Amino acid sequence: MNMTFWLIVLAVILLITFLPRVGLRSQYKSYRAAQEREQVEDALKHLLDREQAGRHASPESLAGILGLSRPRVTGLIEDMETQGLVESRGDQLHLTADGERWALHVVRAHRLWERYLADEARMPLGQIHSEAHRREHNLTDAQLDELDAALGFPTRDPHGDPIPTREGTLPKAEGTPVTAWQADRPARIVHLEDEPALAYEQILAAGIRLGQDIRILERTPQRVVLSDGENEYRLAPAVASNVTVAPIPEHELLKRESVPLTELAHDHRAEIVTLDDAVQGFTRRRFLDLGLTPGTIIYPELQNFFGDPRGYRVRGTLIALRKDQAAQIWVKPV
Amino acid sequence: MTNTKISLPTEHCESCPAYAQLEQMGIKTGDFDRVVALAGNPNTGKSTLFNALTGLKQHTGNWPGKTVTRAEGGYQFNSVKYKLVDLPGTYSLLSASQDEEVARDFILFGQPDCTIVVTDATALERNLNLVMQVMEITTHVVVAVNLMDEARRKGLEVDTRSLSRDLGIPAIPITARTGEGMSTLLTTVSEVIEGLVATKPLRVHGTPEFQKAVNELAPMIEQIAPGIPNARWLAIRLLDGDTRVQKALSSGELADIVGRQQRADVHFSKKMSVEGRQ
Amino acid sequence: MNPNDILAKAETLRNNLSSGFRDEIVKSLYAEAETIAQRAVKTANEKRYDFDQKIDRLVTSPLTGLPIMLLLLAIIIWLTVSGANVASDAIATVLFGFGEWARALFVGWNVPWWITGFIWDGVYLGLAWVVSVMLPPMMIFFPAFTFLEDLGYLPRVAFNMDWMFKKAGAHGKQSLTMAMGFGCNAAGVVATRVIDSPRERLIAILTNNFVPCNGRFPTLIMLATVFVAAGFSPALTSIIASGTVVGIVLIGVAFTFLMSWILSRTVLKGEASAFTLELPPYRRPNVSRILYTSIIDRTIFVLWRAMQTAAPAGAIIWILANVPFGTSNLAAAIAGWLNPFGILLGLDGIILLAYIIAIPANEIVVPTMMMMYMGAGMMVDGPSSSAAIFDLLVNGNGWTMLTAVNLMLFALLHNPCATTIMTIYKETKSYKWATLSVVITLGTAFLVTFLTASVARLLGWA
Repeated sequence: MNMTFWLIVLAVILLITFLPRVGLRSQYKSYRAAQEREQVEDALKHLLDREQAGRHASPESLAGILGLSRPRVTGLIEDMETQGLVESRGDQLHLTADGERWALHVVRAHRLWERYLADEARMPLGQIHSEAHRREHNLTDAQLDELDAALGFPTRDPHGDPIPTREGTLPKAEGTPVTAWQADRPARIVHLEDEPALAYEQILAAGIRLGQDIRILERTPQRVVLSDGENEYRLAPAVASNVTVAPIPEHELLKRESVPLTELAHDHRAEIVTLDDAVQGFTRRRFLDLGLTPGTIIYPELQNFFGDPRGYRVRGTLIALRKDQAAQIWVKPV
Repeated sequence: MTNTKISLPTEHCESCPAYAQLEQMGIKTGDFDRVVALAGNPNTGKSTLFNALTGLKQHTGNWPGKTVTRAEGGYQFNSVKYKLVDLPGTYSLLSASQDEEVARDFILFGQPDCTIVVTDATALERNLNLVMQVMEITTHVVVAVNLMDEARRKGLEVDTRSLSRDLGIPAIPITARTGEGMSTLLTTVSEVIEGLVATKPLRVHGTPEFQKAVNELAPMIEQIAPGIPNARWLAIRLLDGDTRVQKALSSGELADIVGRQQRADVHFSKKMSVEGRQ
Repeated sequence: MNPNDILAKAETLRNNLSSGFRDEIVKSLYAEAETIAQRAVKTANEKRYDFDQKIDRLVTSPLTGLPIMLLLLAIIIWLTVSGANVASDAIATVLFGFGEWARALFVGWNVPWWITGFIWDGVYLGLAWVVSVMLPPMMIFFPAFTFLEDLGYLPRVAFNMDWMFKKAGAHGKQSLTMAMGFGCNAAGVVATRVIDSPRERLIAILTNNFVPCNGRFPTLIMLATVFVAAGFSPALTSIIASGTVVGIVLIGVAFTFLMSWILSRTVLKGEASAFTLELPPYRRPNVSRILYTSIIDRTIFVLWRAMQTAAPAGAIIWILANVPFGTSNLAAAIAGWLNPFGILLGLDGIILLAYIIAIPANEIVVPTMMMMYMGAGMMVDGPSSSAAIFDLLVNGNGWTMLTAVNLMLFALLHNPCATTIMTIYKETKSYKWATLSVVITLGTAFLVTFLTASVARLLGWA
């Protein structure tokens, strides 16, 4: 009796441990495999990053980025070499063609996820990088294609970085660091580097946003002062070099003569000039489908107790918009 | 609240001309000759029209998005049995939200013999956006300009002839609540199906760049699915990146529905000639 | 030529197009629509949206918007409470009277006691209770509510309340789904499809149960009438009772906000998504359609569902009460075992057992509970009037005001019925969310009733 009982217990333990696929052992193995793959992918990304910056990664830099000991990194590099992903040349690590393709795949996954998290899941910008980093692994090309299509084939991630295409071409990030921009020329912020995270936090904390139009007020070795016409932003030059700017597109200058819809007084008519570039994805499609296209007449008709949202009359229909949305619609009072 | 649709013995009003040859069939749609889809913006009285034609009492509250699925019913007009499919009300077919996908998929893959787009006479401009999108998918479209009574009340005069001319498809003024214009609408629907009324839907042109891209892509689609009526629209959707259309293309579903549609036509004309109606 | 060539071609063409491709399509569609509409429509006079506008200004105005909303809710509940009282008493008298008569008939025919008992004290009694408790409130509530729904008032509620939902990290359209939840939580869960953002839709699904559905309204109405309003003069009864129900509903709304806020900061982290809400023009409701819908589609449907669970539940209760167990019967044993836990929550063992039996449909909680109290041997004669129920519960089974209040809170907060849980599973396609919906609500219900009971006991109120 007692013997039988323990035999059953033993059998159950063995089953739980060694059952194919669902057993603990195979679970652990697949967990390890996924972990290793993630490490490889992170390493590839780092190498690609470095190469794009015109430098080459070394085992030291890799160890720093991945938080691994030297012996573990050496093992990882050996693994990647046998898989034909990297080549060591002296102390430098180079991506092979296969390695680069895979790295671009991961970058694509990362940036698409960032786009998704920002546009559809509406996560705060400061959080999307780490969340996207968790989600970027173990995805097939087909899964990414689906995500890409669902997002409407975005070309840039929320930080302004280009998203690699399916074929693995990566458009060069346009623009100049604000530290090298011609001082008297107005500019638009086209990219905010999200690494190192500390600098990115500082940029966000200063209140600087992607797509903002700025002028340089002051640039000294101690500090860089930018202005968007209302606020002044102070940054350390080292931080400011992570802010990339480009000339303001011609048609965007239209915005200069317009106001956000939120500022339109109750019952005053206005004409829509443009939708902000920050409105992307599903929201932009919805706006357009509701008839919020440039040239449309719009006016606030309903207020409520909390002052938000307001009801607007557009093409004969009453549509309620929150302040956050209305602020992204630029209008010209008529 | 419930999806139970109850079919009641309906006594149709004999004196109204609208119902002269109309027999409501409730949900008994098992054996039908033609499929007609009802599309339209939210709050244009689509469901009122649906209920008036089928005799069903499908309930819809007055709030955006209340119908996310499609309802089906039947009616018989001049001895032809029609299955009527009420699609969710949408402003557009481009956003790919759940309700829009249901509507779009039915018009594209369900291949109705005719699609009635119900519009609100008091807000035509907004409604025509959808009409033109439906016209890109299928040429068999009739516009029902509903709520004519409300338009009159608001002092609006709607010239459906001008509308019809500009759009290239029939536009029929109706008031679904009272039954006004129903018989004309049903006659027009049957004429469009039979090909007695030719439709030449308007095409939106867009930028030259856009034109060029569409003109390059559309012939390729026609090669793969000969006889497909909406190659141009499919090309636009592919350029815009529509996963559903991409999938339908690679799985061969598109070529299939063209074949199915043509077989159904042959089957129907055989049936009609046997019964001596053609 | 194969499909992949076309896809590749589309990809190349797309990359060469300017990024505002979609914008261009919609812009030209609308431009064309505008031209055509202008040619076809002539405006005779400038009398536009006049009447609608006036109503809208009133029901959404910063001053009157919120009071009107509360007032409408109070009116609907008052109509339901006061109408239901009268009708419930009448229906109960008839149904219980018939039961007694039929039972006597069976006894006269010398039918074995267990057949008579099973049919008339089990199945029939369950059905009679469900019909008399549920039918009257539904017959009044559904038409009144459908009227508001058809009129187009609900989107205005969403408009008024959106700011609060935004603060809670949720979507304003959640109030539409809550409104549907008053009818039936399963319907409310399905209605969340109107919310496009998956995150906010999940919040709406998980919190929908904090709106008391029609299956739970009768419980609230009965308790509010029998207990809270009992001490007041008859003229005030319905006002006090409906005031209590409105209060409970508002507590439910408060919990909805609280739980949405917690969810949007924990498992469903994220910011409020873009919000666009169409406010459709008002339509004159069609009275015959309303009556048809609310009576055939809604009342009969819900009642039928309740009866389908009530009959077997009645049978189970009768069996439990008639299977000997120790010195007493099985029902008493289980209730006794649950009792300490029930007392901790300010309830008792029978109430908890009733809730367990009523998991398939919340509608049968009160009937189950009453049948078990009666089966405990205290009294059986048609407990049709409020006074009789009061007597049975307070004098017979030691209820206090705390029991009544906590039972109302428990009815408001506890887990969704089986149908709703299934619907949540179907809509989310995930066991995880379905389970979470139970954990959240049941956890809240236990916590809140435990706290109120403890506080009341500490302060010496109970």
